[in-house]
Amino acid sequence: MSAGTLEAGAAGHGAEPRGKRSDDGQATYLVAIAEALWEEMERDERVFLLGEDIGVYGGAFKVTEGFIERFGPERVMDTPIAEETIVGMALGAAMEGFRPVAEFQYADFMSSGFDEITTALARYHYRSGVPTPVVMRAPSGGGVRASSFHSTNPEPWFAHTPGLKVVTPAFPADAKGLLKSAIRDDNPVVFLEHKWIYRRIKELVPEDPDFLVPIGRAEVRREGSDVSIVTHGAMVHHALDAAEELARSGVSAEVVDLRTIQPLDTETVLASVAKTNRALVLYESHRFLGTGAEVAAVIAEEGFEHLDAPVKRLAPPNVPVPFSPTLEDAYLPQVSDIVAAVSELSAW
Amino acid sequence: MATTIDRMPDLAAEDWRAGLDDARLLEILHLLKLCRYFDERMEALYRQGRLPGAIYSGRGQEGTHVGVASALRKDDSLFPTHRDLSAQLTKGLDLKRVMAQFWGRIDGYTRGRDGNSHIGDWQGNRTWTVMSHLPIAYPVACGAALAYKRRGEPRVAMAICGDGSTSNGRWHEALNVSAIFQLPVVWVVNNNQFAYSTPNPLEFAVPTIAERADAYGMPGVRIDAQDVLEVYRAAHEAVERARAGGGPTLIESVSLRWRGHAGHDPAKYVPPGLLAEYMENKDPVKRFQDLLFLHSVVDEDAVRGIDERVRAEFDEGYAFAQASPFPVPEEATMGLWVEDGYWAREPSREGGNEAG
Repeated sequence: MSAGTLEAGAAGHGAEPRGKRSDDGQATYLVAIAEALWEEMERDERVFLLGEDIGVYGGAFKVTEGFIERFGPERVMDTPIAEETIVGMALGAAMEGFRPVAEFQYADFMSSGFDEITTALARYHYRSGVPTPVVMRAPSGGGVRASSFHSTNPEPWFAHTPGLKVVTPAFPADAKGLLKSAIRDDNPVVFLEHKWIYRRIKELVPEDPDFLVPIGRAEVRREGSDVSIVTHGAMVHHALDAAEELARSGVSAEVVDLRTIQPLDTETVLASVAKTNRALVLYESHRFLGTGAEVAAVIAEEGFEHLDAPVKRLAPPNVPVPFSPTLEDAYLPQVSDIVAAVSELSAW
Repeated sequence: MATTIDRMPDLAAEDWRAGLDDARLLEILHLLKLCRYFDERMEALYRQGRLPGAIYSGRGQEGTHVGVASALRKDDSLFPTHRDLSAQLTKGLDLKRVMAQFWGRIDGYTRGRDGNSHIGDWQGNRTWTVMSHLPIAYPVACGAALAYKRRGEPRVAMAICGDGSTSNGRWHEALNVSAIFQLPVVWVVNNNQFAYSTPNPLEFAVPTIAERADAYGMPGVRIDAQDVLEVYRAAHEAVERARAGGGPTLIESVSLRWRGHAGHDPAKYVPPGLLAEYMENKDPVKRFQDLLFLHSVVDEDAVRGIDERVRAEFDEGYAFAQASPFPVPEEATMGLWVEDGYWAREPSREGGNEAG
């Protein structure tokens, strides 16, 4: 595929300036995701999209704007509001050789398709040997004043379900490379985009159509020696801000971006903890049995001899995501909370 | 909505054979008898404590199962439930491997990962590996049908569920979506009058399930499952309409579940008079055999030959299942992900055939 096609396509977000790379070649997370979809659809005609309002309207977040003009309504399939059937239909098409990418308008609405995801899609291959290459994209996460039904982090539900890979990129390049890997994966993948990141974070993103980021590998985002902050999704950015602030007071924090929740890259996590001897596990799903609960358990179980302090968790309390700014800010870990938590660990 | 429910069967009608030649009629009789015999023998083994797990009898509903599945071609797909093993056998599943599945052996279609009629053979006979959350496969059938339509293939997906499933939201989602996109799919509801213990009047407030088809924008037909050829006719018409691009059809095939929901259930909620009426006067196996006698397609010798074949097939399947090894414990964690290659290679046969 030529760069020209890419320009016409992912950029064919057209009239929408937010849909294009900037002049210096940087792409937002949202544009990077659109590029990944576009390139994989150009590369492999078995790939098609289905979901609510994704075709003519271009998607609730405009990720697929311009796609229907290029790929047509059969490959950019507008469906009625029927989440169980969107997932089930993706599964059936995958069983017959297609590689469907289903879009949920918000990750919150994955619960409306829960049984088809966790029973049908997740468990089919183990019992039958039939590959089920379905990607489910969903905008997740809070911090955008979207309240209880548009801010969920459902990764623990799906990471707990055997048979689903769960990916939660924090950066545009990772979002692009991981989504392309997800579409090429023969297993079902839950691809959780973070809506707080969509238009806030931009960076140079590779244009090579075969640029892939492997599923299941964490990345050390910032090297440090005093404490490891193990996190994923939007919290990576807050952790990096906190690390910057901590550096000014002489504390060297390492930030590990998990990128994938299932399968979990415990090797990178444990290597970091072996180096720093202290671990803060930071996550946006609920503290109780959220993603960090497993990470903390792995560190305690397999990295105990490296620890100079107890593993610490920082995560939202076990209540629904509240709306009012004072409440949501109290709910979500803030940079100041991260700094305070690291300081507590450093005091050991 | 068309219905044949109140029409008295005319055994001597000119089109009595529904366009099927003698060989196919004999195969249908064989399947009806095989499914009935299998059902009875497996229940006996279950009651003797010789069969692990559960059984879900489809007895009395063979007319539906054999009738609808006989209308499919090999590369059409079938999405059945736990009650529909007879439809899977009609589609072509190997009885030996089916029985190995019931005993949790490696030669079962799921390699011991699932039991009883939670079975399927997608790679071979294009049948869905059954799940319990009904009608979980209805949306999936939409996807298979979508694939056929997208590629312009003359193939059809058929999904079966019970009357109980029609109360679930997915049933409505799937029918609605199939009509919107005019998918080549046939929706079969095996209305055996009870959802576990719940009777039809507590499942839906309309007189029939089939009339709901009007509201979704597709043809609906209600048929009497005591007549396997009537079922076949309706299914054949629906399948061929779908194959020709005519979109989905809803078929309500009415029978009675002769046994409980599962082996443990004595089904005392079924009125004895109703059960007796069906068993004595509406037995689909007996009725079809009588029909073939009437038209001299079979005689006593031929029927005896079929009965002997059925017994031999069961005994062969039973022996095969008992001789098949259990899966080795190490395989429990394999085959979750495609890339571990478990399903692409032959499994271990070192598990022995004695359960621990």
